[in-house]
Amino acid sequence: MTSPILRIEDVHKSYGALQVLKGVSLTVQPREVVVLVGPSGSGKSTLLRCINLLNPPTKGRIWLEDQEITAPGVNQDRVRQRIGMVFQEFNLFTHLTALGNVMIGLVKVRKMRKNEARDLAMFELERVGLADRAHYYPAQLSGGQKQRVAIARALGMDPHIMLFDEPTSALDPELTGEVLAVMQKLASEGMTMIVVSHEIGFARQVADRIVFMEGGVVVEEGTPQQMFEQPVHERTRAFLRNITR
Amino acid sequence: MRDAIDLLIKVMPELLQGTGVTLQIALVSLALGMIVGLPVGVGRVYGPVWLRHVLGAYITLFQGTPVLIQLFMVYYGLPDIGITLGRLQAAFLTLGLNSAAYQAEYLRSALLSVSEGQMVAARALGMSKWQAIWSIILPQAVRLALPAWSNEAVAMLKYTSVVFLIAVPDLMGQAKILASRYFAPIQIYLIVAVFYVVLVGITYLILTSIERRMRIPGLTGDAAS
Ligand SMILES: Nc1ncnc2c1ncn2[C@@H]1O[C@H](COP(=O)(O)OP(=O)(O)OP(=O)(O)O)[C@@H](O)[C@H]1O
Ligand SMILES: [Mg+2]
Repeated sequence: MTSPILRIEDVHKSYGALQVLKGVSLTVQPREVVVLVGPSGSGKSTLLRCINLLNPPTKGRIWLEDQEITAPGVNQDRVRQRIGMVFQEFNLFTHLTALGNVMIGLVKVRKMRKNEARDLAMFELERVGLADRAHYYPAQLSGGQKQRVAIARALGMDPHIMLFDEPTSALDPELTGEVLAVMQKLASEGMTMIVVSHEIGFARQVADRIVFMEGGVVVEEGTPQQMFEQPVHERTRAFLRNITR
Repeated sequence: MRDAIDLLIKVMPELLQGTGVTLQIALVSLALGMIVGLPVGVGRVYGPVWLRHVLGAYITLFQGTPVLIQLFMVYYGLPDIGITLGRLQAAFLTLGLNSAAYQAEYLRSALLSVSEGQMVAARALGMSKWQAIWSIILPQAVRLALPAWSNEAVAMLKYTSVVFLIAVPDLMGQAKILASRYFAPIQIYLIVAVFYVVLVGITYLILTSIERRMRIPGLTGDAAS
């Protein structure tokens, strides 16, 4: 058995008096695709932001590969380099072209030379099918194209794991397909992914495991088959029935 | 009419000299204002709390008092604590620090209007907070601040006219001398007003062309794409 790429142990997160995560534990194996579902406010985004330390947990521990990233003194910027993140709202850098968006992390964080960075950035844009849009600014791209650039930007950092926070929920329905296709391709190439998404088709086809969260805890997890066909908890059944309708 | 043209020819050399001084003061003060205003604006938003307060006090001080009093304090007041400045230096320092306060405030509101997701995305890539500010937030904020900054540049051209009160021979200073020399204050001040209008007009043209060039393609206001 391989060692897990990510291990989350009893993670809590509070904002002031509001307890959002109340002890979440989750282990992710290399190349695994985990789809995280749950009602609004259940703490899915918060969990992702704990994992890449954008909002570190108030209690509990997280290991990325062999390193405990919640340990004191850890270089958080270094940790984030190894964790790619894709946001619902894309968050492309508006003053940079598609190419510039992918290049900037390579130049500023990975300290690559400009022409080296440009080549790699072009390669990443090709991977998401947008080489021909390299010189477009975000405001000139469709939502689906923006999200694919955002994926290319994250891939450029050579992440060991990718986190997606509702990557298609800000998109018009006809644009979700192109983004999901890129994500499916990534999964088939062996990328480890945690995806917050209510795209049932994607979850059924691509996920190795579905995790259902509610009220700041993991209620149930299992393969798509288990979760959709014979969930143990009534809450899971009710929730999944609701979103598959 | 002949008289007016004669007068214009007589006063022209001194008014051109004065224009040179006015431009020099405006440019140096704006540049000093930018050099000081940029870190002040960034510190106001991203600095530790104590620094934000200190910088806020500096801004309030310069925005809350007449520039003339600031000029007198610098020129007549500083010698009391052992700092004696020449007239021009006093003008540069006063107007520079004054402009820095305004430029810092323009930058501050521009920084605050860059959407929060930009910082989050930059940090998620592994940038440090200061890397993100420098490479992601500032380039966007500077563009957003540009229209306000253009107004500041235009205002500065006119602000410089206070320096004649410490006998700096700027455009206004020359006007005052010429007005009494030729007993023609109305005519002279009218001519000088035209000089200021032309300076402001040219400045405005230059700045709008910079604004146009820095505009991000596809964003609102870019009618061409
Ligand atoms: N920075 C914050 N400060 C205070 N409260 C927060 C903050 N971020 C999130 N919360 C609260 O934490 C709770 C969980 O939020 P979170 O965004 O993690 O939920 P979610 O499962 O991602 O929901 P959604 O499906 O709506 O995205 C919510 O009640 C939210 O208001
Ligand atoms: Mg969320």
